[in-house]
Order: sequence, then C-alpha cells, then structure tokens
Amino acid sequence: MPGPADITLIQAADAVHSGELTSRDLLHALWANIDAVGKQTNAMIWEDRDAAEASAEAADKAVRDKVTIGRLHGVPMAHKDMYYEAGRLSTCGSALRRDFRPTITATVLERLAAAGAYTFGGLNMAEFAQNPTGHNKTFGDCHNPWNLPYVTGGSSSGSGASVASRCNYMALGSDTGGSIRIPASACGVTGLKPTQTRVSRYGVMPLSFSHDNVGPLARTARDCARVLRVIAGYDPKDPTSSREPVPDYEAAMTGDLRGLRIGVPTNVFFDGADEPIVAAMDKALEVLTARGATVTRLALPVMDAVAAYGGIVSRVEAAPIHAEWMRRDPQAYGAHISGRMYPGYAIPAAYYVEALSRRGPVLKAFAADVFDKVDVLVTPTIRTCLPTLADTDIDHGPPGTEHRFMALSANTRPFNYLGLPAISIPCGFDPNGCPIGLQIAGRPFGEGRILKVAGAYQLDTRYHWARPKLLDKVPAAPAGAQA
Amino acid sequence: MSEFEPSIEASIRLWHGVEPPNAPAKRLAAELASTIAAFEALRGTLAFEDEPAGFEAALQATKDVA
Repeated sequence: MPGPADITLIQAADAVHSGELTSRDLLHALWANIDAVGKQTNAMIWEDRDAAEASAEAADKAVRDKVTIGRLHGVPMAHKDMYYEAGRLSTCGSALRRDFRPTITATVLERLAAAGAYTFGGLNMAEFAQNPTGHNKTFGDCHNPWNLPYVTGGSSSGSGASVASRCNYMALGSDTGGSIRIPASACGVTGLKPTQTRVSRYGVMPLSFSHDNVGPLARTARDCARVLRVIAGYDPKDPTSSREPVPDYEAAMTGDLRGLRIGVPTNVFFDGADEPIVAAMDKALEVLTARGATVTRLALPVMDAVAAYGGIVSRVEAAPIHAEWMRRDPQAYGAHISGRMYPGYAIPAAYYVEALSRRGPVLKAFAADVFDKVDVLVTPTIRTCLPTLADTDIDHGPPGTEHRFMALSANTRPFNYLGLPAISIPCGFDPNGCPIGLQIAGRPFGEGRILKVAGAYQLDTRYHWARPKLLDKVPAAPAGAQA
Repeated sequence: MSEFEPSIEASIRLWHGVEPPNAPAKRLAAELASTIAAFEALRGTLAFEDEPAGFEAALQATKDVA
C-alpha cells in the first residue's frame, strides 16, 4: 500500500477533503522523504518548516470546521525558487540573489493559495533559469533521483527531482526553452508548458518576456490539469496574459482518443536520436493507437526559421536584464551562464525585431500546414539518453561540452518560439535507468487536448507510478498515515 | 583567431561595457557566425506583416476550437 507521499496531488487533495488524511499527514510524509533523500538529490534550497506546520494546522482546522475548501486544500508544495512571495526568500538559484526578499507576490502563488495550497520551501534551479541540466554553482548541482550522477534536466531541476523523489506533490517550474519539459522527462514526471500568454508571469523572475511560461510539474497529467485550471486566466497585473476562457481540463480527460490524428515529425526531432528513445516512442504510439488514434508521419514546415529566430529572442531579452551584474560581478555566475549570455549583447536590434515580427507569420504558416493534417504532434522530449552532470559541465569540461549541453533542449525550444502548448510524460527508461519522456504538442490554447492524450496514455501505462530505488531505504510511513 | 571574434568583443565592450567573462563566452561569441548564416539563409523567404500585434493575433487565429 502506498504511503501518503506516494499518492498523487489529486489523491492528496481528495484525501484531505474527505478526512482520510490530514494536511499534517501529507506534510510529515514529505518531511520523512526529504530527510531521507534530500541531501542526495539536493532538490531544495530552503525550507520553512515552522510556517508549513502552521499552514497545515490551519488547513486541518478548516476541514474540521467544515469551511468551504478549494480544489487544492491542504496540499503542501514547494516551487522553483523564482516565484516571489512578499517578504520571503527568492534566490533565483543565484549568489546574486542569495538574500533577495521581494515586495510583491506572484499571481500564481496567490491563486494556488486561494485554492487552499501552501508553500513549504524553495527548490533548486539553474541560476536565473538558464540551463537545461541542473548544474548550479552556488547551491550545488541537482542530482537525478533515478541515477544520481546523471542530470535532472533544467532549468526547473529541483521541481523535477523533488516530485520524482516523492518530496513534493507538485512544483511550479518555468519554461523558456524547455525548462519544465526537460526535467519532467529526465526525472520521470509530468510537466506542462502552457500556450504563451495562458498563465500570468506577474511576480515571476523574468528571463525572456517573449518565451517565458509558467506551468506545473507533477506525477500525472490529471494533476497538471487541476493545477492549470487554478493558475490560468487573465491577470490585470500581467497585461500580456490572455483573456481566453479557462476550461475544466479534468472533465475532458475521458480517455477516448477515437478520431485523434497524431503527427510524428520526419524532420528535426529525430536527428541523431538514440535507439532506446526511438523504441520507447514507437511503443508509446502503439498505446495511443490502441485507444483509437491514428498516426501520420509528416515533415514540419518553417523549422529553419523557427530555429534561427527562436535562437536569438531569449538571448537578446536576457541580456539587458543581466547587464548590470554582467558589468559589475560577472564571476558570480557559473561560466556556463555568463558564457552563454555574453553573445546576446552582440546580436543586432534589427535581427531581434525581425525575429519578433515574423513570429506571427511563422506560427500561421506552421499551423496552416501541420494542423490541417493532424491534431497533435508527438516527439521525444529529449532525443538522446541522458548525459551525466560531468559530461555536460561547461565550467570544467573541454571545449565542445556546450554542444552536449544544448542538445538537451533541441526538441523543446521550437515550441517556445511558436508559443504552442506542450507536455512531457514518462514513457520508459534508458539503459542507465534514467526516464524517457514523450512530448505532446498542440494548437494554441489546446491544453485540454494534449492533457486528454497524456491522460489516456497514463490510463494504460505505469511509468508515472514508478518509484526511484533511492526511496527503498526510506522508513515506512507512520501507522495511521496510510493513503 | 579570425577578425570576427575581436570585432564581436569590441562591439560588446563599446555598446554595453561588458567584457568576455570566461573561455566559453569567447567560444560561444565566435559561434555567432552561424547565427548570421542562419539569418542569411532566410533572406527572401518570408515577408513582414503590415498589421500590429502579429503574434497574439496569430495565437487567436490558429487556436484549438475543439
């Protein structure tokens, strides 16, 4: 029987709602796992146990008092340490913000709190959300719970590692080039990057205003669906957020894929792919077709433009945000951070304007060609078997290490420039025991459709229930605290 | 080293007052040559739109209506 930390976000919320478990049961189960494996994964930057205990007690009192409660009532959470909460530490994973305490609170945190969730800590991340591996010079590298010398993926490294190691029910990540989907894939959890503009970025450390997205990493697609419904929607504090209505994503997850047209790219996304990744993909497609979907292999248009334009937008937008620190204290960054930011200062404004001006036409050309033929695209989230932290250590590795490092985000970056929603779900394991991720992308505001596909896949597979061996040594949950 | 890398570094120094912080910075700045090549390859393949707010309009125009 699973312990309280092994259940999903929705099961946890439902258990608190029904009185089967208390919020304190959930919190203490997470503490037990954090105490047992937290040092090995290094997924957390800070914890506030006293405040979390008080929040749990208040949540349990509300249940006892039969107060109306929200969809996430009593669920403890920790997030990538870049979501501002007024007066609370938010390091952004950097020595430059080691003591930073913002004066504003992120809209997404306010919405999660309004649904009844509370925060117990801040999670490790790439410095300023700028690497796809999980290296961190200041707070230490994050380690993959499935195989500790291997990368967790990034930049939401602690988000992926904490959910996978049953130290967290759900973590917010951020995704500018794959930073939710890559760690979701590498750590064997589910991660959703919504459509650009779907979720408010107010109170979230910026990296690239045009490509930044906020989204959940959790155990299942259904967990992500519940969180997205809570955090999505227009926010007057973020004028770039969309007024598009927010549907009930969970209600649409029927498992019925009859009539669904799946597209599998024949260009770009399998270039240099490792055989175990291709085999896992083929197996996943069999699961989806058994539920009624059909598969079409097709060449995707305008990919050269997506690569060229998408490649400069984030670099140029990060440059002014970091200019003062890059002038004053460049050695405070890891070499892989400052080294990759540096060329952004040389890209001409005319290139940047060209890239942004053509974003709409490129999206239209892509959508007209692709979504006329298929409803969703399915690709590997990462094309290769996972590398180790040592293999991708630009700071200490030989020239050329940066290419292995950047290869991790090759399949995720295109959907940031295109602004499309995409989800990564676990679909197997590579020969090193590290998870493999399946990426499903859809039309703008098509989160409901990709969640439905992901949810249907998880009805027939068990990868999202797999438990890292690291947890085998964790003491059993206390009696009376079983789910 | 070709003339390209010193010219990039000089440009960044002039316009931003930022120095190359490490060896990876110099290597990656040199790779801007491939960025230029990628833009060159796109010349003449796409036109600008006349209307403003093209990307947000494109999101709406291409959205999932199921």
